[in-house]
Amino acid sequence: MLVIERIVAAASLAWAAALLLAQLLTAWGGGRKDYSVRAGSPGRAVLFNLTAAMAPAHKEAARLHPGKFAVGVALHVGVAVAVVEALVAMVKPEAAPLWPAAAGTLAALSVAAGLYLLVRRAVSRTLRAMSCPDDYVAAAVTSGFILAAALYGFGVLATSPFLIFTAVTFFYLPLGKLRHALFCPVSRVDLGRRLGYRGTYPTLRGTKS
Amino acid sequence: MSEKEQDESTAARVSDPAEVARMAREALRSAARGLAAYHFDACVRCGLCGESCHIYKTDPVPENLPGAKAAKVASFFRRYHTALGRIAPFLVGARALTPAALDELVEAAYGRCTACGRCGLNCSVGTDVGAIMRAGRNVLAAAGKVPPNLQAVVDNQLETGNQMAIPPEELRDTAAWISDDLRLEMGDDDAKVHVDEPGKRVVYLVNPREVKFFPLSLMAAAGVFHAAGERWTMSSRFYDVTNYGLYSGDDPAAAAITKQAVEEAERLGADEIVLSECGHGFRSFRWEGPNWLGEKYAVPMRSVLELLLEYVREGRIRVDPAKNPARVTLHDPCNLVRWGGIVEPQREILRRVTSDFVEMVPNREQNFCCGGGGGMLSMSEYGDRRVASGEVKAEQIRATGAKIVAAPCHNCADQLLDLNKKYRLGVEIKAVVELVYEALVL
Repeated sequence: MLVIERIVAAASLAWAAALLLAQLLTAWGGGRKDYSVRAGSPGRAVLFNLTAAMAPAHKEAARLHPGKFAVGVALHVGVAVAVVEALVAMVKPEAAPLWPAAAGTLAALSVAAGLYLLVRRAVSRTLRAMSCPDDYVAAAVTSGFILAAALYGFGVLATSPFLIFTAVTFFYLPLGKLRHALFCPVSRVDLGRRLGYRGTYPTLRGTKS
Repeated sequence: MSEKEQDESTAARVSDPAEVARMAREALRSAARGLAAYHFDACVRCGLCGESCHIYKTDPVPENLPGAKAAKVASFFRRYHTALGRIAPFLVGARALTPAALDELVEAAYGRCTACGRCGLNCSVGTDVGAIMRAGRNVLAAAGKVPPNLQAVVDNQLETGNQMAIPPEELRDTAAWISDDLRLEMGDDDAKVHVDEPGKRVVYLVNPREVKFFPLSLMAAAGVFHAAGERWTMSSRFYDVTNYGLYSGDDPAAAAITKQAVEEAERLGADEIVLSECGHGFRSFRWEGPNWLGEKYAVPMRSVLELLLEYVREGRIRVDPAKNPARVTLHDPCNLVRWGGIVEPQREILRRVTSDFVEMVPNREQNFCCGGGGGMLSMSEYGDRRVASGEVKAEQIRATGAKIVAAPCHNCADQLLDLNKKYRLGVEIKAVVELVYEALVL
């Protein structure tokens, strides 16, 4: 049942994983030895940069733009749920649970968040100036993926088209800006480690103090 | 500077476009494995970084958005180091390293960014925009596109050992008359600026600005060292704490500048190198230098602020905060604090040597750049933008009601002097060591 679709989706996932791993290894380049003498705690700083530093108290971008921060959270929650659902559909489609009706609001918010970001990019002069086609494609693919997952979750969309949508999303993942799915946490680890090594991070103070 | 290093740092100043492009690509490849390696692929161009940038805040045009500036550098990375960038560059905004594209990058990398890194700490994703912008400067330096006035400073450092091309005799003369004044002020015939004395515990590196234009801070340091009973000296040949290779993006030159000062300290037999109040100098020597050289230093190194705090804590100097009664605020130089990790020593010192110390908001690692960083003070073509972008810092200062701004960086101090005039702040700009000297109880 759905063997071809499942294989295609799984192959697409393997492609994404392999390319992202290759990109990560290339960027790592065997590692960079730091010859300076350490002053702080890189481990604690990395933990800080992956947790508290992302909260509005520390991150100005989040504090000054609470609405857009919320939109971003909604979008990424939707993506996370859609990925889990895609994995279930790939491995054991018959086990994929139907979403409770209450999840409809959350799904709608998440899809709306994706579409809002797409429209905002097209409308804002500032964002348009710094955008390339990949920015629009990535937003469209992501919004479509969440929408497909939601429709699948509510039993409106069949497994087959959802798996095809999944395959397209995973295929595009390592090619454009969607690869920030990997490089966002990696960047936070890298920057946190460096600031911790030098003794700047972690800090208990927020940006207002 | 060795012949090989000289070749590496100047070879890019060639006129053959193909050779320029080759060198730029080579520098990009190297940068793609450097500090920016993980960050080229992280930015999602969300546009929320604007308020974190002093340049964008004072001139909110799309070109000043940190994400947009980083995107210009990343466009080259995508062209040569990503699959879609090679196959369909238009789709991912990838650009080839053409002479025109490089010329366009000069404005973004040198003229619209001080690489202060504040946007990176506040980035939605966690992208180190400062590292990306410096990668852009690496590429431009390799292509021989460093703005001429900035390059001239690097050349001075390589050719004469200091950025102002001050001859050793002038340093010795200045040291002699500062010593005369110091003896009079301290009433102690042993007080002096020590020069070229081997076997001392500390070799002190200063900003040549202190020798040429602002000797009070050198005199203050000499006075505090004397009061603490420190065994110290300067070199008349290599005493420059600055390193404009950090700003220009020329890593071989930065390595050579680092090497000459470190080797001089070794030659003098010092136990430790102490770095005067200089943000980028501290970052360059303390953190980047060993990696430019690819080896650990033989002589340990620290900021004079750490040493001053040690003096105060250990009771090697006695200070009276009542001697500095005016309200004092503190400027946090980006390269000293955010990228240098020297966050608290200057605060503890000021709390001990002044009686009315107030913080700016925001402060510490979240400080705003004064606008003079990134080599901006050397590039007169961006002078108007530099002073305009300093309005953010000026308003921070004004809000404190301070009469004195302690600026533990001579580069920042120069910018703050300009801001003081332009925005009529009515403040004095002083080095931390000057406030310590003024608080000394002899």
